[in-house]
Amino acid sequence: MNGMGLYEERNTWVHRSDPVTKLFYGITVSAIPYILPYMGVAAFFLCLNILLLVLAKVFRKILPILFLSFFLMLSIVIVHGIFHPDNRTPLFSAAGIHFYREGLSLAALLIIRLLNMICGFGVVILTTKPDLLVNGLVQTGLSPRIGYVIHSVFRIIPQMAATVNKIKDAQRARGVETEGNLLTRAKALFPLLVPVIMSSLIATKERTMALELRGFGSKGKRTFLKEYEEGRYSRQARWFFLLLLFGSAVWRVLA
Amino acid sequence: MNRISVQQLAFSYNGKDMVFENFSAEFSGGPTAIIGQNGAGKTTLVKLIKGLLKPDKGRILINGIPAGSMTVRDLAKTVGLVFQNPNDQIFKPSVLEEVTFGPNIIGFSGEKAERSAKEALEMLGISHLKHENPYDLNLSQRKLVSIASILSMDPDILIFDEPTMGQDYEGREIIKRTIRHLRERGKLVLAILHDMDFVAENFDRAVVMHEGKIIADGHPREVFAREEIVAQAGLELPNAVKLGKRLGLKDIFLTKNELIRYLKERASGR
Amino acid sequence: MKKIVVEGLKYRYPGAERLALDDVSFEVNAGELIGIIGKNGSGKSTLCYALTGLVPHFFRGAYGGRVLLDGLEVKTSTVAEISRKAGLVFDNPFTQISAAKETVFEEIAFGLENAGVPREEMAERIGWSMKLLGIERIREKNPFELSGGQMQRVAIAGMLVMKPDILILDEPTSQLDPQGTEEVFQVIRNLAKEGMTILVAEHKVEKLAEYADKLLLLHDGKCAAFDAPKRVFSMENAESYGVELPLAAQIAKELDLRDEAGLYPAAPDELLALLKGRLQGAAGTGERLTE
Repeated sequence: MNGMGLYEERNTWVHRSDPVTKLFYGITVSAIPYILPYMGVAAFFLCLNILLLVLAKVFRKILPILFLSFFLMLSIVIVHGIFHPDNRTPLFSAAGIHFYREGLSLAALLIIRLLNMICGFGVVILTTKPDLLVNGLVQTGLSPRIGYVIHSVFRIIPQMAATVNKIKDAQRARGVETEGNLLTRAKALFPLLVPVIMSSLIATKERTMALELRGFGSKGKRTFLKEYEEGRYSRQARWFFLLLLFGSAVWRVLA
Repeated sequence: MNRISVQQLAFSYNGKDMVFENFSAEFSGGPTAIIGQNGAGKTTLVKLIKGLLKPDKGRILINGIPAGSMTVRDLAKTVGLVFQNPNDQIFKPSVLEEVTFGPNIIGFSGEKAERSAKEALEMLGISHLKHENPYDLNLSQRKLVSIASILSMDPDILIFDEPTMGQDYEGREIIKRTIRHLRERGKLVLAILHDMDFVAENFDRAVVMHEGKIIADGHPREVFAREEIVAQAGLELPNAVKLGKRLGLKDIFLTKNELIRYLKERASGR
Repeated sequence: MKKIVVEGLKYRYPGAERLALDDVSFEVNAGELIGIIGKNGSGKSTLCYALTGLVPHFFRGAYGGRVLLDGLEVKTSTVAEISRKAGLVFDNPFTQISAAKETVFEEIAFGLENAGVPREEMAERIGWSMKLLGIERIREKNPFELSGGQMQRVAIAGMLVMKPDILILDEPTSQLDPQGTEEVFQVIRNLAKEGMTILVAEHKVEKLAEYADKLLLLHDGKCAAFDAPKRVFSMENAESYGVELPLAAQIAKELDLRDEAGLYPAAPDELLALLKGRLQGAAGTGERLTE
């Protein structure tokens, strides 16, 4: 149950790298293709990310997530390929519908950027233990409350999924059909949604009480059991990424 | 008569660790308690009976009909299951609506549903709460609401998962009375319980489960007399039994009434 | 100085019509084990919250009267400050795990981190806390993968590590199986022996009756009785408060067995002694009552 089964303990240099620096990397390589919207830029970073994923031996774990976005990508292709206002040059036709070059090349860029972002953050999430990342961020200056919220996303989402299953069972036991056509599922929405929300609210209230009782709300200085040590070249690496970001923004303005 | 027949059940959650391997059991007649440590398979068994899980092998017959062939709705008409946590189930803004929901789903007419709901509320002693929002009530009252919401569906078989957990004395008396009422109406009652006093006082049969097997099955009096079984299954003895032992008595006194009666007789010199 | 002083405590939840606590007053000496009993809705949980500052700081609402822990006034202190005097454990083991830590050891450290305790001190305090709770063997396990009883003990350890000398438990065993229940009661007994001041809200009166120094009986937010268990159970109208007497007292009541002070016994051994006395007076045949 580590971060929804995404993170697994492995000993590659990527895994061992400073988690906060990795986060800087992830944000940088995801953002630059948006600042510099060129196919080459997006493709370059996508290849870089794939290379890192392979080196970290986690490439296979990103595939399911990429497949999940397949439908999104398909709809991008369809929407832009057929309907983009700049469409002029037909590239091919299918079932009497024309797909145009302009729309399709835009769609290609969007898709590569999307894949790049997934892979970029994949490098961060698949190679970093969630509590180490949050620990690092908090010790670097992030508010502990925000840190807790981030970390709890990894822990509490699987719990919520288990709760949803329990609720599904309870309502099915009362005769509520949860499988079937759209209408059936729509009728099951309220009986499923309300208990999920109420359970989450109640659990959140109780958890918050327990956290308060352990001094979580205190404004005083905090100490940390696990010391966060910055990587040897963390400073340089992070400045490098920031510089890249800044540089690409400058390039964008000037070009 | 209502009967559940579990035949050569095999089941595992992940395909590897078998929860049940060749499990068979018959349930009919008087109220039956299913007891044993957490992890013994009690909840899994109940979910299999209720069709929420499908067995790998074997089958379960509910009054002669295979559970696997019944739709969710049909099963709900015959077998009612009250879950441990009422928060997993309650979603209507008022107690009355919550308790009428089940009957409506399984096809009661509007009038019959309302009548059935009111009777259930009466039985559980919460008629005065019928217009309250269930989430404004405390957890034990909400538990009674969830019991009422299954009772109102008037199934022939009722299964309770830890009905007395978190209840105070009054709550337990209400549940006791409800089980008695169900028994009088010929319903089959099964209950998963950790409360051994409650088992001793209200159940004709105790089925002790341990690691997916039944290690004891009989009247609570017989079951609690077997010390090795009690130890193996991690059970606690009912307080009356414990007190009887502390007082050095040889017989098993299942309930406080038995103990009181015996001591009264001794004290009056008979 | 009295360990805990409660004076005229009144509290009403926001938006509620009636008072959850209505003029409650009592005092607790250091090292006492107090059972808080009463039917659901009588105010047991609210009292536990009031003793640790969740009332009024977390729940807001209308508040009157005073609660003093070793002289520290709850109304004017923060929950964090109060947590160093008194720890609170609830009924749901699951929501007390912070969900921010991967192992039991780190989980227990959570309170120390928030309190700014130096890292060098942490290991020793955590070790001491784990030993008290008998959970050293599970120190590396994921808190979410524990049994209910183990999770509850981790929750208690997480509170104790802040070294309060008061521990309050609100129905700590209501969601546990018999084994977990026994584990927690064993911990309570051990802590009481170590001199900790403990208040436990419970329905399982049987377990409390033998060990508690006093019982606080709540009814409709008011304090109906605060006395030694025997006295509380011997009250004329004890049952009308919705609590079940322990079996020994129930039997004694049926047989009209009282001790020299005119009280019913709260524990089996006392009942046995009284029974022997009664039975020796009668012309009994057949089996004897032996110890």
